[in-house]
Amino acid sequence: MSANQKDMGRREGQFEREPARRVFAAELRECRYQFKDGEDEKSPTFVLLPSGERSNRIFIVGTLTEKTRQGEQNIFYRGRVVDPTGTFFIMAGSYQPEAMQQLAKIETPAFVAVIGKTSVYPKPDGSGVLVSVRVESITVVDKETRDLWVLDAAKHTLDRVDTYAKELTPDMLKAKEQYPTIDPSLFRKIAYDALAQIKI
Amino acid sequence: MMDYSEAAERISRKFAKSGQTPDLKKIEGKLRRLVDEFGVQPLEAERSVTNELAKEYNLPVPGAGSSAGSGKGGGTEEKRIAEGVPGEWVTIEGKVVGLSAPASPSIAQSGIIADESGAIRFVVWAKSNAPAMTEGSWYRIESAVVDEYKGVPNLKIHSGTTIKEITEDRSLIPTPVPIHDLRPGIGGVRAKFVQEWDASHERMLQSGLLGDETGTIKFVIWREPGREKLVPGALYNIFYAQVDEFNGRLSLNLNGATILQEEGEIAVSGGEVTVTGAIVHIAPGSGIIKRCPVEGCNRALSRQNYCPVHEIQPKFVYDLRIKGWLDDGEKTHNVLIQRDVVESLTGISLEKAQEIAENNPLGMDEVFIQMRDKILGRYITCTGREIEGRLLVNACGKVAFGTQDHTALLNRAGGAPS
Repeated sequence: MSANQKDMGRREGQFEREPARRVFAAELRECRYQFKDGEDEKSPTFVLLPSGERSNRIFIVGTLTEKTRQGEQNIFYRGRVVDPTGTFFIMAGSYQPEAMQQLAKIETPAFVAVIGKTSVYPKPDGSGVLVSVRVESITVVDKETRDLWVLDAAKHTLDRVDTYAKELTPDMLKAKEQYPTIDPSLFRKIAYDALAQIKI
Repeated sequence: MMDYSEAAERISRKFAKSGQTPDLKKIEGKLRRLVDEFGVQPLEAERSVTNELAKEYNLPVPGAGSSAGSGKGGGTEEKRIAEGVPGEWVTIEGKVVGLSAPASPSIAQSGIIADESGAIRFVVWAKSNAPAMTEGSWYRIESAVVDEYKGVPNLKIHSGTTIKEITEDRSLIPTPVPIHDLRPGIGGVRAKFVQEWDASHERMLQSGLLGDETGTIKFVIWREPGREKLVPGALYNIFYAQVDEFNGRLSLNLNGATILQEEGEIAVSGGEVTVTGAIVHIAPGSGIIKRCPVEGCNRALSRQNYCPVHEIQPKFVYDLRIKGWLDDGEKTHNVLIQRDVVESLTGISLEKAQEIAENNPLGMDEVFIQMRDKILGRYITCTGREIEGRLLVNACGKVAFGTQDHTALLNRAGGAPS
């Protein structure tokens, strides 16, 4: 953990770190389109949200309801994190040893904060795709943090929906093309319902 | 509202077929806990409890696979200078605002060409047989190539490029860019000379820090006939300076730039910045660290107490710090939190951290883990000075749930679409 700290800091500085987007499960679930920005092997991969924002990484806070250990030689964990609108599918494998150990320690149910990379996978049975979150880190948090996240996710969702209604960004045009049947104003209602579930 | 006993019945029926009789009261209790305490939706709660039981009775669970992305192409298009992307063929119209001595005999001419969107350095290959351009004139350049050299975009004029002089009278008023938005290449700023540094090289005429409302940037002027020093504290309009990038940090080279001193005063962000977001990463080297005790050094030591300058230092001094990333959903800020702020944020004092590090099998790692578990994924507000892309935090606090924010968002979401 300490030997090459300096090098890591320098390397991190060279790139703009991809921000962690705030998105409700109900919107993330609709993602089908994934693309790479640039031809470089190391170019980041993005999942395009139906409201027209690219997401390489997301930040979610919800309830970890379930976790399963899988695999024989390559052990990995799968889990389900629910928010007021639906379920996020998370996973952590041996390439994320720290995340895997953090996940392994947590007893369900618990409120958790998850930072992870989003990607779209075809379902093994061929019946469409699954959007999953590869965990970079997961920690147990309190209910207040969960409620703060609901506000945060609602705010960003509304920002996207409002921009979409006014002026389409290039990514929003792409979203319109990729998700012709989804009307992003639907996410306004989803944000409202999520906010309404917070009890004061 | 969920009918817990009915849901419990439903779940238990699923297991009756395989000869199992789960405890109804226990199922009900689990459902109630998920829904009431954790705000899980009833359907998800039912699913979750069903799966838990399935696992208990040794029944199967699902899996997943992998996938790939796509690319893009380009042609020669008429563009504004700021829109040129490396690898593209472009046609542009611009004014030659500066010429510099060619760096090699294979180059006929080099300089800077600009339009109202921005400016780019250009190179005319000797083999292109292109007509010589004059400083101050406008040209239409067809089918040139945008290239990249050391991360900086560059316009290459080759034998397939056509250059036509534009004779009509055009004016060009360059617009300065906020320091925060500068990118490698050619850029202009309206900034105050906030700090003069010692020249670190004999060829260097002057170096220091320029600042505007959005941030600060290092600048350098190399010794060259006709170059003058800037006056500390004065405000300048600087056009067509070269923005260099080194180790992810930007600096301005003012040698090719047009510099105009201006009367007046601007606010400089050398002051404080406040950012609110979630802590999304805590970097190695956070927690409790050891520092070099040599007067004026204070460098962080390695685990073996090695200082890069003063070698092994067994009489090190302990310190606390957190290096991490604070993310507001749009941008991620590199933060460095110093000792007293770490203490108040984590509730772990230096004394306590030292005790943990010295009495725990994991040593200093244990402090890292405890601090990580206390702040990773939490919403905090950090205030401090932003220096070279890093926020040096001198105050921070946890964000509390605000009922007004909640109400305002409910109104916004419930309102008619705007």
